[in-house]
This record gives sequence, structure tokens and C-alpha cells, in this order.
Amino acid sequence: MQKLKDIEHSETAHTHVLVIGGGVGGIRATLDLAESRRNVILIDSAYSIGGLMTSLDRTFPTNNCDLCTVSPHLSENTRQVYLNLMPMTRLKALTGEAGRFTATLVTEPRYIDMEKCTACGECYKHFPDIVRFTPGLDPRAPTCMRYPQATPYAFSIDMEKMADITALQKICKADAIFPEDRQQIKTVEVASVILSMGAELFDPSGLTHFGAGKFDNVVTGLQYERIMSASGPFEGDLIRVSDKKRPRKVAWIQCVGSRGINKGDVPYCSSVCCMVSLKEAMVTKERFAETIETTIFYMDMRTFGKDYELFLNRAKTDYGIRMIRSRPHTITEDPETKNISITYALEEKALQMTEEFDMVVLSTGFRVPGSSVELARQLGIELNIHDFVKTDPFNSVVTSRPGVYVCGVAQSPKDIPETMVQASAAAGMAASNLTAAVDIPEEDNGFIPEKDVSTQPLRIGVFICDCGLEIGGLLDMDKMVEFAGCQTDVLVSRAVGHGCSSESMNLIEESIRTNDLNRVVIGGCSPRTHETKFQDLLRRAGLNKYLVEIVNLRDQDAWAHLGHPKEALNKAFQLLRAGICGVRKSRPLMDQFLPMNPNALVVGGGVTGMTAALQLADQGIKVYLVEKNSTLGGLAKSIRRTIEGEDVGVFMSRLTDQVSTHKNIMVLANSIIVDHSGVPGRFKTGLQTGPRMNYMQIDHGVTIFATGALPNRPDAYGLGLHENIVTQLELDVLIEDYPEKIKKMTQMVMIQCAGSREPGNPNCSRVCCQAAVKNALRAKTLNPDIEIYVFYRDMRTYGFQEDYYRQARNMGIQFIRFSLENKPEVWVENDRISVFAHDIILDRKIQIETSCLALSTGMTADDETTEDMAMMFHLPRTSDHFFLEDHVKLRPVDMSVRGIFVAGTARSPKNIQESITEAHAAACRAQALLAKKEINLGAAVAKVDSSKCAACLICVRACPFSIPFINEDGYSQIDPAKCQGCGVCVADCPAKAIQLFAYEDDQILAKIEGLLGGLN
Amino acid sequence: MENFEPEIIAFCCHYCAYTAADMAGSKRLSYPTNVKIIRVPCTGKVDALHIMSAFEKGADGVYVAGCLEGDCHFKNGNTRAAQRVAHVQKILQDLGWDTQRLAMMNMSAGMGEVFARTACEFTEKIKQLGPSPVKQMNTDSYRQTQR
Repeated sequence: MQKLKDIEHSETAHTHVLVIGGGVGGIRATLDLAESRRNVILIDSAYSIGGLMTSLDRTFPTNNCDLCTVSPHLSENTRQVYLNLMPMTRLKALTGEAGRFTATLVTEPRYIDMEKCTACGECYKHFPDIVRFTPGLDPRAPTCMRYPQATPYAFSIDMEKMADITALQKICKADAIFPEDRQQIKTVEVASVILSMGAELFDPSGLTHFGAGKFDNVVTGLQYERIMSASGPFEGDLIRVSDKKRPRKVAWIQCVGSRGINKGDVPYCSSVCCMVSLKEAMVTKERFAETIETTIFYMDMRTFGKDYELFLNRAKTDYGIRMIRSRPHTITEDPETKNISITYALEEKALQMTEEFDMVVLSTGFRVPGSSVELARQLGIELNIHDFVKTDPFNSVVTSRPGVYVCGVAQSPKDIPETMVQASAAAGMAASNLTAAVDIPEEDNGFIPEKDVSTQPLRIGVFICDCGLEIGGLLDMDKMVEFAGCQTDVLVSRAVGHGCSSESMNLIEESIRTNDLNRVVIGGCSPRTHETKFQDLLRRAGLNKYLVEIVNLRDQDAWAHLGHPKEALNKAFQLLRAGICGVRKSRPLMDQFLPMNPNALVVGGGVTGMTAALQLADQGIKVYLVEKNSTLGGLAKSIRRTIEGEDVGVFMSRLTDQVSTHKNIMVLANSIIVDHSGVPGRFKTGLQTGPRMNYMQIDHGVTIFATGALPNRPDAYGLGLHENIVTQLELDVLIEDYPEKIKKMTQMVMIQCAGSREPGNPNCSRVCCQAAVKNALRAKTLNPDIEIYVFYRDMRTYGFQEDYYRQARNMGIQFIRFSLENKPEVWVENDRISVFAHDIILDRKIQIETSCLALSTGMTADDETTEDMAMMFHLPRTSDHFFLEDHVKLRPVDMSVRGIFVAGTARSPKNIQESITEAHAAACRAQALLAKKEINLGAAVAKVDSSKCAACLICVRACPFSIPFINEDGYSQIDPAKCQGCGVCVADCPAKAIQLFAYEDDQILAKIEGLLGGLN
Repeated sequence: MENFEPEIIAFCCHYCAYTAADMAGSKRLSYPTNVKIIRVPCTGKVDALHIMSAFEKGADGVYVAGCLEGDCHFKNGNTRAAQRVAHVQKILQDLGWDTQRLAMMNMSAGMGEVFARTACEFTEKIKQLGPSPVKQMNTDSYRQTQR
């Protein structure tokens, strides 16, 4: 880990950002800041970073393994030059103001020297009670770290339990035990602070009626995740705690401790639990047995995120997951079988039912821990009534204290993509309080120039690490050294103790110099974790970093073949020979770099586009803001109030003024994009602009798409037949601008999901439930005598919107549920509007004559625009024509093409505040890219040998990213700036005209030869 | 063939199967030493020639292990690999080989158990099939020259 030397000196300017909390949000914010060359201090009270996400088994909606997705982010952290990671550290005090804070940090002693610890696990083996990990449900830990990808990769000792420290010191072969370690207090000067403390999951064992903590087979959602997880207590096998048998019937109970007013409950909705339970039920069937019966007891199914409704439909139709709308009240355990009985009432039948299950999962939501409340008090920031951090109504990352920002669940319950969005937004805001650090170009970070080895004969050095006894304990070091020394061209072969320790690294570097080595083989642990470390070593020694080969003797030999030393040694010989054969074919490679154009193009002049443009322009970036209409404002212009009662009009006119007058923003209204070319960092986009549609071309390094969505106007429920049949958007205007009309009304009916969540437009528009509640509350306040009926399918007032939904019910607004099969009908006769519907609870038809009918129509993608842009910019779209981001979980505003970002309703339906946050996030990501003077594209790129190319087009078709093309000379050409380095084209090319650098065919064949050589 | 120890080459993609193998190691899950891994950026990079070369050089079994379907870091590299494996299996069949000597596997980076289990199963299968025809051929011709 790189350490910043200057943080202990308070005289340095306020050049750092302090990030509190190393969950996915904190890590994202940290990486964004580091990428834009802001120095960051990331503190976390735990022993290693990763937060809650690392405890999960899989994540919705892709049901991918969590650790696989997050672990690259974790290890990336340790490589950033601008980052200082401080685990086991808390913030004690923060004085000063934005741009000039002084933070006091307290670091607890780890009693282990992280520079020396190799995470071998010896200490844990001998003293399992003393070496710490966070156990959760695990009676067992695979290593003494919480999960195998722990960052930092080191242990921690609980000194209070340690009686005999010398015994522990003797066990540790790396001499890393450090009993003198003490609590350290440090003050640091920081310009901004980002809070990302996350939240806890509710522990239901305090509730009397769900049996949590009392019955073996009642577990929480998180415990269920741990049971299913490969790194969990049962190694990823789904079995019951009571009898270790596979359950046949599993039930989930939603909203345990949430959306309630009883003792122990919180009133808000945790937003993610519906999706979590659906995911768990689906994974249960997918991974364990199709035959396991899965049942979810729920109140409202809140699948309001992007494509989440499709996920729900798949759960029902493809997986056969049973959904029961009921809140169970009694849970009992059979003392013999330990099975769990659930008693519940059915809404449509007024009937009490009891059913037995093998296992019950309680779906619990987020709770703010006391430590966060305490931290907020110390920081002097305001909390909302639910103890979450209170934020600006139009900027969800700005807290009440200037210079202090927040992201993730600490602000409100939310899922991972929304956390990532807020993290990037907070990073962008935090970065604006300080200037970027001096650029350290990758070419010029103090390394001596590379030696030209092309004409030299091969001089190979083999260094075999014993990794304490992890390798040396099983594999005979002397024999391996002797074997490697006998191979052709090997000049040096030697053993090194703890190859990754600074001592051994220096020794290897020295040996490279004195023996004039030009190829290096390291026998040790996995290249996945340590390749960059040894590549840097080669650079320091004046060699190209691609002249090293790592042989995985630990993870894939010694550790996997305990008890078979002889066979494992033979395998080690083969692996070493493969490594030596491979390194002989290695060539010096150049990373691809491109200079960056510093300008930005923002497409779309709505609230999202304007916010993003303003954020970039304030950072000194030249922005072209393209809008196809004649004025700025987009859809937000027609919205009057938010659900919180904020005046959108005032906000929008201020924003529009700022954008229109900003010296760094060039607004191009009445403009359409007609062509696009170039590579990331050097895009060229052509426009037709102004009343005469003049052509102009823009050079830019990044692009943000904020093209918005369209208000949906379905041909349903009599929309357009009567002036008082309106959409929620129109009702919002009516209430604000013509209150006397509302005052005259006697009834008002609203119908939800008008034109959405049904065939043709299957997704949920997310904003309509809150719009309905907002308008109903305002109408009722204006006219207390009005009767309001809301016909709904699931009320999706997620997060704190639940407060407004509850308030609406308390004010007497009637919510009547309908099903897709039994939708309300609207009759317009003699200027009168009547709504006929089937009341599920009364089980009979009802008729309501109404003065006004408001339809919650939501929004649909701007198909025409996204299609045009997708064609020109090579961007993927979802099945319902929104832009499809690069990674739905971790990179929500990045598109798959580097340098192109997406924000707002162009990505998926969302409200104004959410759009603004996303705009800030996209601006931050764009700015991070522009902060680099050039982009490093790595060396693993494919290159075509034109003398062999037959222009057969196979590579053009094979490439998953559509990069190869036939150039003017009639040969295939692959742009190294765009190549992703998978090598698919190489394998498919019938003429063998393509090679992938760093994985050339001759190198792979040499490795095969090395593994098998001499067998025939 | 009591003591036959097959040589098995596993082409593993960096993002999933190779990581799964590391995971198997870090959890100390045992699998036969017969399996040796060659790391590739994506299974889509594995050429038919690489597979054939491995058999030619004396491998008794070869498998290609990539990400789970739909999870490929490079969109569809693993499905292309699966097609290529099927293609090479056809070639092996034409040569009169048992196509089970070559397999495509899918696993996510977290599936250390799956890596270890499949490595055991594949090794067991190859043991049952006996040495590759290349080796048998060599032994036969050796015997002939001895006569």
C-alpha cells in the first residue's frame, strides 16, 4: 500500500478529502477522487474495507456473485497513488470550515505490522480466538479474514484475549506481531468530508412475535445470504441450522420491523428488501433445487428500479415463486421437527390460514446505528426524523454543514447502484473544494529509463518465494531452486523468504541489476494479487514491466495439494518450466496512451443535462450543451412541486440562468447531432444547429447523455375524452396554478399504473406513486371536503415517501387495490366521469362518480432519440429503449464505451432529485477521466499483421465490441484505443493474422510445451 | 492402467475460473495435482490450435473454464469458447477419440468448490478413459520398433 508521507504534517495545504466508511459507496467515492487526482484518506472502523456488500451472496437483478463484482474495486484501492487507507480508524472531531477543515482521527492498534504480514494464516490456526474476524453467522472462517479478498490483506489481533504474546510471536514467520502497537491520534487537514457510514440491518430478535433468535430455522435475510454464500458457514450449501438438511419449503416475510407503527418498528420503507427476497428465492431455486417451494409474504411488492419489474415477472412466471399479500402475525415452532408454522390472514377472503415451512427468512431493513448518530452530533450535521443524514432538497449529497457530503444508505435506504451514483456525486462535490494534485504521469513516476533488451541473449532469473511455510512447508525449496537453475537460459535461481516483503523485493531488484537479468520468473502466489507489485519492481530495475512471469505455486499448488508433497513438487516443476518457457517468449510491451481533449459534450438541456454541465463548467471545463428544443428545461419545466413541497419552478429558473450565463458553457439550442467519430478522449461530433441548421463540429474528450424521457400518454381510461381526465403532471399544474378549480371539486379519483406494468410497457415508472400521493395530499389540503380515491396495484412509496403515504391515509384518502386482470373502467357520459371497479376486500363492484380523474401515466423512453444516439455512438439500450449502462450494479452512469456517460431519465425513470444526483455523478466520472492528460489503455491489445490478413471479416463479426474494421488498404484494422483485450478475434482468425499482446500464441504454446515437454 | 496419472491442461479465464482456482486454494480445497492451469484473459482467446497442441504434446485431457453464461467480462467470449470446444470435439470424434477428453466448464470467481469438484470429476473421467491415443500410438510404434 502506498502511503502519503505528508499527511502527518499539518503545514501542507488542505489538499485532502476525508472519506468515512469503506463500504462500496466509500470505495467508489475514494476511487473517483483518486482518479481525478485528489488525495484521499479513507477511514473505516473495521479491520478491512468492503462494508455490507461483501457479506452478500449474490446481487439482484443479475444474480451475480457479489465478491467477484466488488473485489476488483477492493484491490484497486491498494494501488492508487493518491490514496491513504486507514482501517480501524474513527473520526473524533472536525473543526474549521469547507476547504479548511482539521480532522482528528483515532486509530486503534492492530498489533500486526501490515508491511510484514503476508496473511499466511498461521496465527489464526494456532490462536483462533485471538485473531479477529467479523463472524456473522459463521462458526468457521476459511481464513482469519472475513472473506478471502480482504483489503488490506492482513490480520488483526485482539490483545485483550492474548495471554502469551511471545507464543504468538514465535508462530508468526513474517515477524509481523507488533505488541507495542498503541492507539494513535492524528490530526489531518482536509478540504472536504464524505460520509458513507452505511447502516445496520435490523436485528429482529428483540421482536416478540417472529421467533428470531428463538427458533433455529428462522433466520434474517443477511443470515440466509451467509448460508448460501460460498464463503459462508456451510460452504455455500443451503441447509437448515437445526438438522443440517436441505429445506423443502422456505418462506420470506417482508417488512419485518419496517413500515410499521408498533414497538420496535420504523415507519419508513427500506427500499431494497422486496428485491432482496425475490433474488434469494430465485437463487434458492436456481442453485439448490427447482423443487424447493418458495413463498413470499408481502404488503406491497416494491420493484421500482430499472428493469426490476421484469425481475418480478420472471420470479413469478419462470421460477414459480408464490406471492401472498399478507402480513403474518403468528409464528410458531414444532418442537419435534423444528418446522415453522405461519398464521396469516388473506385480504380477499377474510380467512385465517396456517401453513408449515421448513425455514423462514425475515426480510429486515436498514437501521441507523448509534455510532452514526454520535458521529453526526460530533460533526454538527442535521439528521432527519429517522436519524438518516438530512440533505438539501435539490442535492441529495449536500448536508447541513458546508463541505460535508454524504452518500449511500447513511442518507436514505437504497440499493447498490443508487449508492454508487451518490458516491460519485459526493466525490464530485467534494473535489470542487480543492485543486487537483500534481499529475504523476505513469511514464514518469521516478523510474529509470527502460533498458533495450531486444538484442540481448536471454538472461532469466528465477526467484522462488517460500511465503513463510505456505509454499516452503510443502514444496521442497532446494529441489525447486535446483530444478529451475537447470533450465536453459536461467542464470540465477534462488529462494527468497516472503518474496513480497520489502526486504526480498530489494534483494530481487539488486539481483536483476548485478546479474544483468532481462527476464524474471517469480514462483509465489497468484498473479491476480501480486503481478502489479512485481511489474513495478521490474520497472524500478530498468526492465519493461511485461518481462515478468508469475508462477502460482501457492494458491494453485501448495494450498490445493496439502498432504501430497511429492505430487505437488512434480506439479511445481511443471509449472516453473511453463513459466520459464513463457517468459522466454515475452517481449517488451508499451501501454497504449492517448492525449485527452479537455472539453465535454452534454446532450440534453433538461434538469439533468444542465446540472451536469454546470458542475463541469464550475471546474473549468469547457462544455457544449446541446438541446434539440428551442429552450432549456426539459420535462422538469412542467413540474411545480416535489413531494416534500419544494418549488421546482424557482429552482429551475435559477439553474437555467446559471447555465445560460456561464462563461464555460456554450448552449446550443435547436440543435441535433448528425454524426460522431473518434476514440475515447478524442471524440468528434457533428451538429446541425440554429434556425438555419448550420453544420458545426465539436471536439470533446467526454460525452454525457441526458436526453431524458417522455411523459407517457396511453390511450386508456378516457384520457383525452374530458378536460377533467388528466395526467398527474397536469394535475400538479392544476393544483398549483388553478387552486379554485380544486376547491370546487367534490370527488377525485386517481388510477395508478395507467399504461405501465402491463404488456407493451412492462416496467414500473417509479415516480407515479409518489406523484399521486403528493397531488392527493395537496388537493386534500386545499379542499378538506374533497373525497379522494386512489386505485393502485402496489403502492411504491419507497424510502421516506412512506411517511407521505401514511399521512395520506390518515387524512382519509382512500386507497383501493386492483389487479391487472380486473382493471377499473371509466365512463364519460353527459360531461360526467364515472369509475367502475372491483373492490377486492368487499368483493363487489363499486361505482364512483368523480369531478376529476387523474391518471398516473409515468414516463416512457424517448425511443427516437435513444435509437439515433445508440446508432451513432455505438451504445446499447434496454428492451424498453432506455440507455443501458456498462454495469447495472457498480457502474450505473458509465456506458460501455469509455468516455461516454449517461444520467437522468435517459437511463431509467426517476424523480428530479434522483436525476440531479445522477447528473452530479456523471459529471464526476467525466471529470475524473478528463483529469488525466492521457489515457493508459494497457498493453493487452490485438494487432493485425496485414501481410497475413485476407480481409475475411471473421474478426469483424467475432469481436464482442465491434472494434475491427476493414481499412482503406483492404485489411482488418483494430484500434488499440478501443480494443478491450479479450483475444476472441485472435482465436477465430483463420489466417492467424492477429496477435494479442501479452498473451501471444507462441507464448501460450511455449507454456503448453513447458508443462508437457518431454512427456512424449 | 492401475497407476495411470493423466496430464490435464485447464485453460482458465482471468476473471472467473482462474480466480475460482485461487479461491479453491485459499480455502484449502483439495483436487488432483494432474490439473495444471494456463491463464488466458478470456476463454474466447483459447484457440483450437492450443487445444490440439496440448493433446499433441501429450495431454490426456483438456478443459476450458470460463465465466458463467451471461457473465462473461467480454460479453460473449465464453459462449464463443463453448462453440469452439464443440468444434474441436467433433474433430476428435472424427479422429476416433473419445470426445470426453475435452470439456467446457463455467464457473464464477467465487466458486472455489466448483473448481475443485470439477477438477476431481474430470481427472476421474480421464483416468477411466486411459492415456490419450497419442501416447498409446507412441507406445505402439515403440513396441513395433522393438520387434
